Amino acid sequence: MQAAELLGNYVERFGEDNPQRARWFLKTGWEIQDVRYRIFPEKQLMPADRYLARLMMDSMLKPLQKPDSSVIVSVFTPCELMQEVGLNPYNVECFSSYISASYAERGCLQQAENNGISETLCSYHKTFIGAAEKGLLPRPKCVVYTNLTCDANLVTFRHLAQLYDVPSFAIDVPMQQNRENVEYVAGQLRELAAFLEKCTGRSIDEERLKERLRRSRRTLENFEKFQQLRADRYVPSDLVTPMFAGLANNVLLGTREQESYTEKLLRDVRNTGPARGTRIYWMHTIPFWSAAVKEALSLKESAQIVGCEMSEFCRPDFDPEKPYEAMAQMMVYNSINGGASRRIQRGIENAKRVHADGAVWFCHWGCKHTLGGAQLAKKKFEEQGIPLLVLDGDGCDRSHGGEGQTSTRLGAFLEMLQAQ
Amino acid sequence: MNGNKTYYVCKYTPVELLAAFGAECANLNSMPEGFDLADQIAHPNLCGFGKALLEAVMQGQVKELILVNCCDTIRSVYDVLEDSGKLDFLYMIDALHCDSVCSRERMAAQLKGLARAYGEFSGREFDETLFRKAFAPPVRVKGPHLSVMGARMGTQLFQMVQEAMPLPVENDSCVHNRSVGEVPPPEKLRMLPENGAGWADSPAFGRLMEWYAGEILGQIPCMRMTDNTGRKRLYNDPQLKGIIYHTVKFCDFYSFEYAELKDHANLPLLKIESDYTVQSSGQLLTRLEAFAESIAPEQNTEKEKRMGKGYFAGIDSGSTSTDVVILDKDRQMVTGIILPTGAGAAIGAERALEEALREAGLQREDIDAMVTTGYGRGAIQAGDKSITEITCHARGAHFLDPEVRTVVDIGGQDSKVIRLDENGAVVNFVMNDKCAAGTGRFLEMLARTMEMSLDEMSAAGLTYDEDITISSMCTVFAESEVVSLIAQNKATDDIVHGLNKAVASKTASLAKRVGGEDKYMMTGGVSKNQGLVKTLEEKLETKLVISDKAQLCGALGAALFAADMVM
Repeated sequence: MQAAELLGNYVERFGEDNPQRARWFLKTGWEIQDVRYRIFPEKQLMPADRYLARLMMDSMLKPLQKPDSSVIVSVFTPCELMQEVGLNPYNVECFSSYISASYAERGCLQQAENNGISETLCSYHKTFIGAAEKGLLPRPKCVVYTNLTCDANLVTFRHLAQLYDVPSFAIDVPMQQNRENVEYVAGQLRELAAFLEKCTGRSIDEERLKERLRRSRRTLENFEKFQQLRADRYVPSDLVTPMFAGLANNVLLGTREQESYTEKLLRDVRNTGPARGTRIYWMHTIPFWSAAVKEALSLKESAQIVGCEMSEFCRPDFDPEKPYEAMAQMMVYNSINGGASRRIQRGIENAKRVHADGAVWFCHWGCKHTLGGAQLAKKKFEEQGIPLLVLDGDGCDRSHGGEGQTSTRLGAFLEMLQAQ
Repeated sequence: MNGNKTYYVCKYTPVELLAAFGAECANLNSMPEGFDLADQIAHPNLCGFGKALLEAVMQGQVKELILVNCCDTIRSVYDVLEDSGKLDFLYMIDALHCDSVCSRERMAAQLKGLARAYGEFSGREFDETLFRKAFAPPVRVKGPHLSVMGARMGTQLFQMVQEAMPLPVENDSCVHNRSVGEVPPPEKLRMLPENGAGWADSPAFGRLMEWYAGEILGQIPCMRMTDNTGRKRLYNDPQLKGIIYHTVKFCDFYSFEYAELKDHANLPLLKIESDYTVQSSGQLLTRLEAFAESIAPEQNTEKEKRMGKGYFAGIDSGSTSTDVVILDKDRQMVTGIILPTGAGAAIGAERALEEALREAGLQREDIDAMVTTGYGRGAIQAGDKSITEITCHARGAHFLDPEVRTVVDIGGQDSKVIRLDENGAVVNFVMNDKCAAGTGRFLEMLARTMEMSLDEMSAAGLTYDEDITISSMCTVFAESEVVSLIAQNKATDDIVHGLNKAVASKTASLAKRVGGEDKYMMTGGVSKNQGLVKTLEEKLETKLVISDKAQLCGALGAALFAADMVM
């Protein structure tokens, strides 16, 4: 049995009666993993990506180590404001992925379902809800969320705020892209700043916030440049690195560490060899746990993921000198805000930038926006000369696997691309 | 459906505004037979209502459609429909998620946008008289009633609910609790004489739309709204006698409300889920009937027959076996028969009844009353009454052990957990969904994969070395997981234990959902599986009472109800 499976067994065993102990196992297991990343990093990855793995592990540990300095956030909630008041983002998608990587997701999912939560709810949300209900995850200072990108946010985070009995703040993002909507969201972000100041007793200095937004912009520019440069290079990638990059470009955006990561990317990409193998652009999350996907795409010269939609939702085209409008712009103009067509169009542009040979549209169980747009995406990508595989699965819950089917579909798609 | 109508799907749709342009609005609520066309252009795992919309449009039944950005499904459906080019008019309203002053202003802007677009499309001007005429207070059920809440319920399923229930039913699900119209537009906002050309940019029209936006957003909030505390109004009505809570597969908003309601509503509560097809509704009939029986139990105890020879029969027609119990006038069991159902429920029942009569040495006419139950109960003509297996299992279990408060029944086709009171009446129950996962069929199929008999499987799971977890609950995927475990040379006992764990977890989950409490009794054919019983006891942290008549529990309950019918 792998160490991670053993950890999951302990967490599940104690999760029923002794949540404090289960939480201790989880935290200690992740601390050990953190040390492992430092001493035995994945050598095939670029140094920048090894640094990213440690960065993400650190940011996962902080809420467990200092829950009172943490804020539960939904993905694409701007985290610059949280950083300014010293709160560590406690991101639902990140935590559920790490719980799943620790083989502890089953009991959490079951807990949520036992309580009546729908079996078809996104498993990232359900795992987190179950873990919170079991007492595995500690109580945060507050909850901040937005309807952006996922309508499950509206119910999941309201439920979490009630469960933990902490103050919450919801950012309402309209789906149309225009100046009025940016103003509307910016107004709410100003209210959010006041909310965070009240929760923490700390104040937000607008000059410092501007500096943070300048850093956010530089980080996104660096990342975009890296994606351009990697178009002709072979950058080794496993299944978690593109996800880490996506999550870090949200929860850590605005930090020195995340900017430093993108600087390292620009340095490392110059030391890589010429492009080889089949290049896949990945839409939506990646089922990092799937042996079938690993076998096809993880650290393989023959085929690799060259970009993931998750890390390219926002463009660095905002004005940091107006920090609230800048954050609002990132939300309103997020490529997944609104209908599926904008998202598909942005995906096509991103895939072309990295010279992808094909794309995978991953239909994560329960993600209605992705499921609904699947066939439209196939049509639009292929009209632009990018073959697209609609792949069903689950980014977090192993029970929605069907590994045999995944292996056949993905294998056949890669063979088809290679034959072209 | 009618191609000349303007269809809408959400209660936040400004139907009165559309009526002002002469549109005849209708709520698109019909459930299709299947999703052949929708699956081709979207994805099978999309919410059933989203697929119903796609299906209706692709079949050419809808030409004008107004959507609201209710959820991720509707956002995607809009794009797919726009790309299809099948509609003459398609519009999506970007409704915000709160009811603040700012939201009302933005809603008013959305209303003006729609008015302009529909005016251009229809070639008509805004007619204030038609607008004001369209405001009509919604008609609601008066007196004691039941209510359907949660995700939208399709027309056909709602009709089925109405027919099955002993009280009038109000449809308060999703779009159906629309309440705009309770208050007519104030006279002081009358636009005349600005009505006619130029209305779109007139300040008077702007003021009217601002008032109207407030009316639309001021309704009982739906689950997509940030603050939905106002929904409590739906279940605080003193005339409300019970709730049928409906969810649609792959629409997750409402399971959160159900999770809260099940712990706080002091009313009989039934949870049902449909996938928005007509077929899925048929499978819900047992649950609906059992709920109706639990609300009006007196219907089951009416004296309808005269005592003859004093024998009563119960027939439980299950998917795997048909069981018959005959009781004498002292309610003692004369005989109990279990036979395979075979190809037809009616023939299987007739055969099992003949066999039971033969064994008891009785004739058909010696039976004073007969009650049928089980999956095939509707197909059997012979009975005097038909009662659901849920009510019958509860009655039978109470008869066998009056201290039992929770019955776990794992049958061939479905599994259910029933909670009963000290009199054996059903307090609450839950059934698995139409998937085979967690049922006897699941174990049967996997025993076949492992080339074992069910008896061998029952013993194999009792001891194990390695604690294997079968992660897939889908029968097909679990089968492929088992095949790969066999290929890895895993011990049979360990694999069977893994399978037992999977079924036990699913069952324990049902028990928790229904608030199961001691004593537990297990009934149904799967109660003979010793390995599963042991694993389930571990999961529930209690002992299961397993009567030697466990398999006959449903038929026994039916026979007891038959005895009640006789004066």
